[in-house]
Amino acid sequence: MTITPTAAAPRLAVTDPSFSITSDEVHAAREQSWYAHTEYGLAILRYEEVSKLMKHPKLRQGSAAWPAHNGVTEGPFAEWFDSWILNKEGEEHHRLRRLLNPAFSPKLIGGLVPRFQALAGELIDAFAERGECDFTAEFAEPYAARVIAIMLGLPESEWQMIARESATLGLALGVTLKQDLPQIEEALAKLYAYADGLIADRSANPRDDFMTTLVQAQRDGDRLSSTELRDAIVLLIFGGYDTTRNQLGLAMQTFMQHPDQWDVLAANPALGGQAVEEVMRVNPTVRWVTREAVETFEYQGLLIEAGTTVHLFSESAGTDPRVFGERSFDIEAERKPHYGFGGGAHHCLGHFVARSDMSEALPLLARRLRNPQPLPGATWLADSGNTGPISLPISFTAAP
Amino acid sequence: MKITVDLDKCQDHGQCAIAAPVAFRMNDEGNLEYETTVEDSYLDEVEEAADVCPVQAILIGQA
Repeated sequence: MTITPTAAAPRLAVTDPSFSITSDEVHAAREQSWYAHTEYGLAILRYEEVSKLMKHPKLRQGSAAWPAHNGVTEGPFAEWFDSWILNKEGEEHHRLRRLLNPAFSPKLIGGLVPRFQALAGELIDAFAERGECDFTAEFAEPYAARVIAIMLGLPESEWQMIARESATLGLALGVTLKQDLPQIEEALAKLYAYADGLIADRSANPRDDFMTTLVQAQRDGDRLSSTELRDAIVLLIFGGYDTTRNQLGLAMQTFMQHPDQWDVLAANPALGGQAVEEVMRVNPTVRWVTREAVETFEYQGLLIEAGTTVHLFSESAGTDPRVFGERSFDIEAERKPHYGFGGGAHHCLGHFVARSDMSEALPLLARRLRNPQPLPGATWLADSGNTGPISLPISFTAAP
Repeated sequence: MKITVDLDKCQDHGQCAIAAPVAFRMNDEGNLEYETTVEDSYLDEVEEAADVCPVQAILIGQA
């Protein structure tokens, strides 16, 4: 057995507040080695290795122990976190996935496209004449939250509840989890009440919609219990809102750096789908995907011990010159798939929805907001884990 | 029915193996193995597998 001397691999201080996962330092490390050491364990930096390890049978999804690592071992939040399909493995995971998948089918989501288009148009109308906006507050947030309201069949006017309670739940992914716990559990209780109401309503009055498909889901005589349904709906709200909001903001950031591509998209709205893929390749909101070694194994001469946390760096993989050549952003180019939606058994459940809603929004924005430019005052989440703009003031020339 | 997987597209995510284990499985290396012919009584789950494939690489035809 050959073991690569670990001294040869670079070391990245990913918990340092000034660390940027898309920095020259990370890209230089990628040229030195396919992996780096971090405070958590390993970081995987190149496309081929990210692709393989993302789906490796010896690695499981790696965040199940997060609440316990932060001193939260019981109570409603710990129980909800434990219920996440993301934190299940093996047959327990597969059963949930089989029951949840049909509601997220691309066939069903196709029918929502006109609603996504109307929503994007309405939001742009509200600020276009001013020639400037906070892109996060005035577009990305209401768009992401109202898409969820559309999916769940909630009145779209209640989008602020979705945005507010989701943001509070988001505190759970921060290192201050324990001190924020009372607030987080209050938000959880509110969302549970909403979910319970929806389940009761669709059980009594089935409709031709996403929620009814979810409530009625069955396979081989097996169904989701009302607790499983409730837990899944709240996870859907939580998992769908932040990520879509952040990814839309990151898309605007990327296109402002590549105005020629914004023009290409405005002229050819059919490129919306490819625009989403290209943005997620070079500027994904999920900056790393977490895995944990189930048992000790060897990969490419490196011994990975059981329990090791492995972070797969999505932007580093997506801009790996071995696969994608020189750095470029081109929505018309044919590319290999990115890992912005993760991969393997835990591949993002809602990716057809996210792909569909963003591929409608971006061409409309490109047509209506000409020549967008960043204004001062943008604030950003840290450039690791999940990132995106907290506020993104921009100016533009309005077009019909 | 006949099953064809576009292996240029396939990324070995394994969602098909979760949806329709009768036709698809992931081997110890994490690579897809599948049956090219499956009884029509399994149509629902094989269609489900095609539907959930993240890269839409599965084609179902008549045997």
